[in-house]
Amino acid sequence: MSEIKITGYKCKACGRVHYPKHEQCLTCKGRDFEPLTPDGNARLLAYTQIFNLPWGFDERFLIIGVGEFENGIKAMGQIKADSLDKIKTGMELKPSWEPVRHQYGEPVYGLKFKPLE
Amino acid sequence: MRDVAIIGVGMIPFGRRDQDSLVDMLAYASLKALDDAQLGDKAVDAVYVANMGGGILQHQTAIASALVDRLSLLPAAADTVENGPASGASAVKNGVLAVASGYYDVVLVAGGEKMREVSGWRATDFVATLTHPEVEYPYGITLPGMAGMFTRLYMEKYGLTREMLTAVAIKNQTVGTLNPYAHVTMAITKEGILESPHSVVNNPIIADPLHLYDACPISDGAAAVLLCPLEMAKKLTKHTPVVIAGFGQATDTHTLQEREDPTDLKAVTLAAQQAFTMAGIGPEDIDVAELHDAFTILEVAESEHVGFFKKGEGGKAALAGRTKLGGEIPINVSGGLKARGHPVGATGVAQVVDITWQLRHELPEGRQVLGATYGLTVNFGGFGNNVLSLILKRSA
Amino acid sequence: MAVDMELEAVLRPPECPQAHYPAKVITLANSKRMVVREVTRDDVPTLLKAVHPTLFIDKDYYNVVGARIYSELLAWQYYRVQNEFCLVGQIDGIMVGMVNSRMYTAETGMSLHTLAIDRGLRVGAHLFAAKMEHHIEYLGQDEVLIVAESPIGFRRWMIEYGLEPTTIPHELGGAPSYRLTRELYFASKARLVVGDRPVPEELMALAEKEIVVADEAMIREKIVGLRGR
Repeated sequence: MSEIKITGYKCKACGRVHYPKHEQCLTCKGRDFEPLTPDGNARLLAYTQIFNLPWGFDERFLIIGVGEFENGIKAMGQIKADSLDKIKTGMELKPSWEPVRHQYGEPVYGLKFKPLE
Repeated sequence: MRDVAIIGVGMIPFGRRDQDSLVDMLAYASLKALDDAQLGDKAVDAVYVANMGGGILQHQTAIASALVDRLSLLPAAADTVENGPASGASAVKNGVLAVASGYYDVVLVAGGEKMREVSGWRATDFVATLTHPEVEYPYGITLPGMAGMFTRLYMEKYGLTREMLTAVAIKNQTVGTLNPYAHVTMAITKEGILESPHSVVNNPIIADPLHLYDACPISDGAAAVLLCPLEMAKKLTKHTPVVIAGFGQATDTHTLQEREDPTDLKAVTLAAQQAFTMAGIGPEDIDVAELHDAFTILEVAESEHVGFFKKGEGGKAALAGRTKLGGEIPINVSGGLKARGHPVGATGVAQVVDITWQLRHELPEGRQVLGATYGLTVNFGGFGNNVLSLILKRSA
Repeated sequence: MAVDMELEAVLRPPECPQAHYPAKVITLANSKRMVVREVTRDDVPTLLKAVHPTLFIDKDYYNVVGARIYSELLAWQYYRVQNEFCLVGQIDGIMVGMVNSRMYTAETGMSLHTLAIDRGLRVGAHLFAAKMEHHIEYLGQDEVLIVAESPIGFRRWMIEYGLEPTTIPHELGGAPSYRLTRELYFASKARLVVGDRPVPEELMALAEKEIVVADEAMIREKIVGLRGR
């Protein structure tokens, strides 16, 4: 499995997990954070299937969602599915790190989720 | 702090304006506001220009400098305000602060955007640049996509239905047919966009569960208001002065995913509360509202978050006709962003123009809220990460 | 003009048998009923009136599309094109758009143009779908070759239908064609092709009575959407 190149930040004072990075904790303004990498699978918090994609995408649609990892990191990613038929809020997702788009001819890597079950 | 009045308003019809440049549109709307105000020999001290995309879409920056020159308002102070889709209300707020502080007497606020110059793909990409550049934008997320995720959560939590959202779309496009400034002047029907089997083509999904007619069009347009101290307004203007009774602004996390409850638009609630506190009134005192319905879901959610309805009741209220003209709180009697259009930098200013007309009692039958005294606007930036609310009052 | 039929026999391209497109009616977003039906060569002079103003609209490639349609319609009227057909959309008799196309061979269709006069009602999407429906379902063809001259067309056809890119030069300017196969058509049909048959008699009678064409200024206004200051 490819490495998920995401770093979350857990506030050392209050424990709140941040992603993306903040210079001060959203809850307590603490400035000391413990770096976290995503742990295990994720649970689907929200999703949509987008048609009318922006410049840079040739697909007819993308399914995009936000997953929450077991250690509390919440991150957006592209969901690998042909339709929303089997997608449900709360379902388990297996993450991977793959090209999510191309910019200036180069692949841009990011988070993808494969629905389990 | 001095009371600040709106003494002039102007707007040009929104839509596709191939013949006009961005600065042309801003200038035309500004001239209308200047004419409406009848300033006489009073000079404009400062100009605030709301614009989000000149740098990206027109490859033009320093729009305020261009506008003061075009209008020959030199040597007036001039600032461009870029605050995403909330640029308009941000510019108005800055203008109000400038006059209220006593530093400037006459301030022109103009908002404009020219979005139809580029393809729909480019326009969608342009608006998506307000998302987080590392953790959102690369995935192809769009503003309709954000709204789609939000809508599904709202449906799951509150039982909101497509029929309720459709009611908002039909209401706004119906009244939009009466607005000469509206981009979309075509009424739509429940049959055509929801009930008929042909609606799958008429009203396709754009970002599940949102459909084409849940979204505002991509528009060109501009609007302007002229502000001065209330005392000066009483001497200058033939109109009943409209004052800025309150304003509020709040921010929230850049990304939707970091909000504890992503269905809670905290910045909307806070902005409205600040505005109500400043005006010394509550939601029940508002006679007419212009809410930021870039998507039908936003009109519903904002109507709840500003306090017109309890959480989860906004969709039912729209379906029951409580937000129509003649209902208990008429919302978007201009047609809203849905019908008037959403040239992003112009929107917050256009909302103030429409509410000013309402409070002056200048609109024709079918659009005028009879006897309106207080009006409220919500200008929603990002996906709720930077929100302004303004309360306007008819000065007796 | 006087027609020398002996000479015509030499000049006219041979045509293969071509099925008729059965008219249908579509309920649009505003509940208006659009009749989509096949027209004949006799209707060409009327269609040309609707196309004429687009020749001078230098936006969204309307002039390119308009000029090509104009010539394709004339060529059809005077039998200088093989197996062309033309479908129109009418609301209350008024022409709101048209599509034309032709059979390249019995098996392969060559999609020509789509012109939407009323915009904002997805007239173009409905008419393009009807054209594909005719090629695949009524003409019984295996594939249709398609190119887009405008970004709107590209997005609508290539992406919405998931067309296959090919290297086959298209008749319209020689650009590489995209291909709609029977399989792709039926995979997308449920979300892209709608309409009821038969068309109620009174609606059909109104549509057939006259193809009403708006005046040129109105057509320009509808297409370009120029707004006053």
